[in-house]
Amino acid sequence: MSNIKIQMKNIGKVFETDEMETHALKSIDLTIHAGDYVSISGPSGCGKSTLLSILGLLDMPTSGQYIIEDTDVSDLSLDQAAEIRNSKIGFIFQSFNLIDELSVFDNVALPLRYKEDKPSEQALKQRVDECLELVGMSHRGSHKPNQLSGGQQQRIAIARALVAKPAVLLVDEPTGNLDSKSGDQVMAVLAQLNEAGTTICMVTHDPRYADMASTQLKLLDGNILQTPDVQEAV
Amino acid sequence: MSQFVYLQKQAWAGLKKQPGFVATVLTTMGVTLGALLCILTLGYVMLFEPLPYPDQDRLYQVDHNLLNKAGIAQEKSFTYPGLVHLLENQTVFSEAAAVNYHHSVMTSHPAQPSVDIAFVTSKWFGLLGAQMALGRPFSVAQDTSSDTPEAVLSFDSWQQHFAGNENIVNQKVSFRGISYKVIGVTAQSFVEPKIFQTGRATDVWLPWHFNLVSADMRSSWTSMDHRLMFVGKLTQSMSLAQAEQTLSPIINNIWRERVAGVDFFKGWQIEAKLNSFKSVIVGDSQKTVTLLLAGVIGLLLIACANIANLFMSRTAGQQRQLAIHAAVGAKKSDLFYAQFAESSQLMALSVVLALLVASGGFMVLQYYLVDLLPRVDELSVNGFTLVAAIVIVLFLAFFFARISSNMINYRALNATLQSGGKGTGIQVSKVMRQVLIVSQVSIATALVFINISLFKEAANTIATPMGFSLNNINELSLSKSKVGSFTKAERVVMINELKDGLSGLDQVVSVSQGGSPLQWFNQWKGTEASADKSYVMEVGLIDEQYFAMFEQPLLEGDNFTAANITDESKLMVINDVLAKNLAPGGSALGMHIAFSAERVYKVVGVVKGVQLPATDNVPFRAYIPVSPSETSVMIKTKNDKPLTREMVVTVLKQATNAYTVSRYQPLTKVRNEQLFTQYTTATTTSVVALLSFFLAAVGLYGIFSYSTQIRRFELGTRMAVGAKRKDLIKLVLGDNATPVVTGILVSMVILLALYLGLSDSLVSYIQIDIMVYVLTLWLIVSVSISASYLPLRQFINRPAIHSLRGSD
Repeated sequence: MSNIKIQMKNIGKVFETDEMETHALKSIDLTIHAGDYVSISGPSGCGKSTLLSILGLLDMPTSGQYIIEDTDVSDLSLDQAAEIRNSKIGFIFQSFNLIDELSVFDNVALPLRYKEDKPSEQALKQRVDECLELVGMSHRGSHKPNQLSGGQQQRIAIARALVAKPAVLLVDEPTGNLDSKSGDQVMAVLAQLNEAGTTICMVTHDPRYADMASTQLKLLDGNILQTPDVQEAV
Repeated sequence: MSQFVYLQKQAWAGLKKQPGFVATVLTTMGVTLGALLCILTLGYVMLFEPLPYPDQDRLYQVDHNLLNKAGIAQEKSFTYPGLVHLLENQTVFSEAAAVNYHHSVMTSHPAQPSVDIAFVTSKWFGLLGAQMALGRPFSVAQDTSSDTPEAVLSFDSWQQHFAGNENIVNQKVSFRGISYKVIGVTAQSFVEPKIFQTGRATDVWLPWHFNLVSADMRSSWTSMDHRLMFVGKLTQSMSLAQAEQTLSPIINNIWRERVAGVDFFKGWQIEAKLNSFKSVIVGDSQKTVTLLLAGVIGLLLIACANIANLFMSRTAGQQRQLAIHAAVGAKKSDLFYAQFAESSQLMALSVVLALLVASGGFMVLQYYLVDLLPRVDELSVNGFTLVAAIVIVLFLAFFFARISSNMINYRALNATLQSGGKGTGIQVSKVMRQVLIVSQVSIATALVFINISLFKEAANTIATPMGFSLNNINELSLSKSKVGSFTKAERVVMINELKDGLSGLDQVVSVSQGGSPLQWFNQWKGTEASADKSYVMEVGLIDEQYFAMFEQPLLEGDNFTAANITDESKLMVINDVLAKNLAPGGSALGMHIAFSAERVYKVVGVVKGVQLPATDNVPFRAYIPVSPSETSVMIKTKNDKPLTREMVVTVLKQATNAYTVSRYQPLTKVRNEQLFTQYTTATTTSVVALLSFFLAAVGLYGIFSYSTQIRRFELGTRMAVGAKRKDLIKLVLGDNATPVVTGILVSMVILLALYLGLSDSLVSYIQIDIMVYVLTLWLIVSVSISASYLPLRQFINRPAIHSLRGSD
């Protein structure tokens, strides 16, 4: 298997209403290799979130080809997309998107519960504990998310994103809802993960955090201003 | 502008922007409140509204209770001489009247309609305070005089049969050969007390003196006639017990004296029993009204749960608008008043619609149930209806406003604007959502179960095979057209000519003399001679054509021959149920049944028993030869060739002018009339069951839809981490299952409580059937699953981003 984790060829996305068409993405070409740390930035409305949604199979492209670890995922059914998300993609959202009714442990365990080959309860517990340990939250497993600070919640979200050992971590404005101190702590965790080999693709409009990525892409009006082969650029 | 007017204007403007919401509330509440107001008014009129007669609480009908040796009442009808004796000798009523109810043909009218008549003594109209639209009522002189046959028409009869002819007074109407001069028409407002039969309205009142009681009956102290009634207004100083104690000896002493020679009545006595007009008129209809009221209250509860859900969803949708009001200084009470103004307007409009629905309901009740429910003809939107409507408007308006305002977290609302409109200042709490689901499911399950059970009982009764065929058979009854007596031989000739005339018609398959199997059977007590054992049996008078016409199989022995009928042979055919009792394990043929020393019949045949509509079992029945002069005839016609009343009248006129057609109707119509209660029950219960089910379905969909909507981001998150469609369906169904199962358990408790608390009242209406409950559960669970799944489709059938959009 090649070390290319993600490859997009000529990806386009058009939103249609009765009155108009909006070209959110225009012919995007992007390749991300294992261990990359890519940041995507740009002004509001440039297509950052749309690109991240398509990268994460939360949405489907209108045109082009999208390959994740040698698997063409350009035209999947909803359930097939869910399975790929579960096994190959970890999400970190700006507003954490933890489920209030579930404990921290159960929030982190959630992706494992949706696996086709469900792990045993013992294996599940071991993996969740590992991930909580990794983000320094192992002592909060029985808490509910609303009992935690924003920074802590985001670290739980990171643990949840890692739990199924995804091919790539997709991160959407991870510090958008945090104060600067908590933001810095979260970014430090991401940096550590990347150093440990985790592939990360992050959308941010904060230049300070964009600079932490090994590759910085600029998006404007649905186009990537520079589309380097990330490994070549490095 | 006052604050009140401002709030009303704002509320109106807000509602105009939400036509779907307004239409749903008006339709749901209009229909259910209409049903409630209709049944509440019915209950009020039946049970509480004073009767429309002067001193109505002093009006009584007297029962002539015939008590056997053991003191058990055997009969409550008057003998003719007993009634007259009481009328002449009573001392407890300030006014009293006698009535004799009948049915007759108005021969003077070109259409010869069959009408309900009542022979009354002159005090009848004064007792009831009857106002006249035209003319006058009877005078006292008419109680005894035969010189001036006069008649009083009812308002409806005047309109229907005489097109409201203003010159009707002094015109003539004829019954049974006597011509009566019309002297008056009762006022439209006059409501005749239905003390003889619910829904029976007299068309023409005739003087008591001309009543149809035969000469024999007039002097018989042993023949009771249920059509004879005594009514009176109790004097003010007299209590009920005193009156009964005073009247009993008056009627008992003379009766004992006159039946002294009859061994059968040794030790028997007569007791007077007074029944208030209201109790006689209302009868046991209170149960029916209670059941109807329980049904509509159940519907209203479901509707209220639905509308509460709509109000809460609407309030949640108004979050930003309410937040702006709060930001500029509106207090929580101000927000409540604004919501109260909206709910008041909606409830007021709903009640206007409800009053129209109730008026329609009154018309439906008056058209279809006038023979079933008492005082239905007095129904109209009255003061009680309006007061009930106002109370309901205020209560529901307050309830819906309160439930909406309780959702508002005022502190969080203030923060809503600061967080870009994504706050949670307004949300239906999980507990409230679950309470709504539990109440919807429990009430709907109980209502649907009860109504399906009632429907099943009614449908079973309707579908029960009778054991004989009524297809294409018409019942013809004749009445004398003029005064005059004919010998039996003359009457036999007339009837035979009629039968021959009818048989000669191309439309007619066969003609049978005798009564219909649906009515016309007398209860006789017969004794089987060898065992000296008595049986009470229904005895019908038939000819040799009867069994073939009704396709009632002969199981053993012989049918009558034509000669048996002509000779009026003392032979008898009995049904298999009676035969098995007469000769268990053997044959009843050849046995003798005696009804008196002279009337001893030999059993020559056994036929299959028949079960009459709306009855539970096959009665003992015996058939004996009909008299050749009998004036009741069954006519079977060909499938495609109906025989009209006009054709029958023509044949009758060719045969004789001594008789007129009193009644001519298909027996299927008679059967349907006998099953009217079952048809009404089946229709009503199926409508209520469907309505309950529909309302519950709409309500559950609303609540589940809202619950799913507020879980949108959670569902999106689960999808983002890999949940597939089936995972989310399982999740939502599992979460919704708890309140649904709780609702079902609550419904079991409700039904159990009803069963234990009201088993005596319900046992005659409902048989507990586990399969019906399983069917009900299946319906409720199916609708719950559908209501859970359908709102979910919008999320699980689209890319996950649709659910997550707006979460950041």
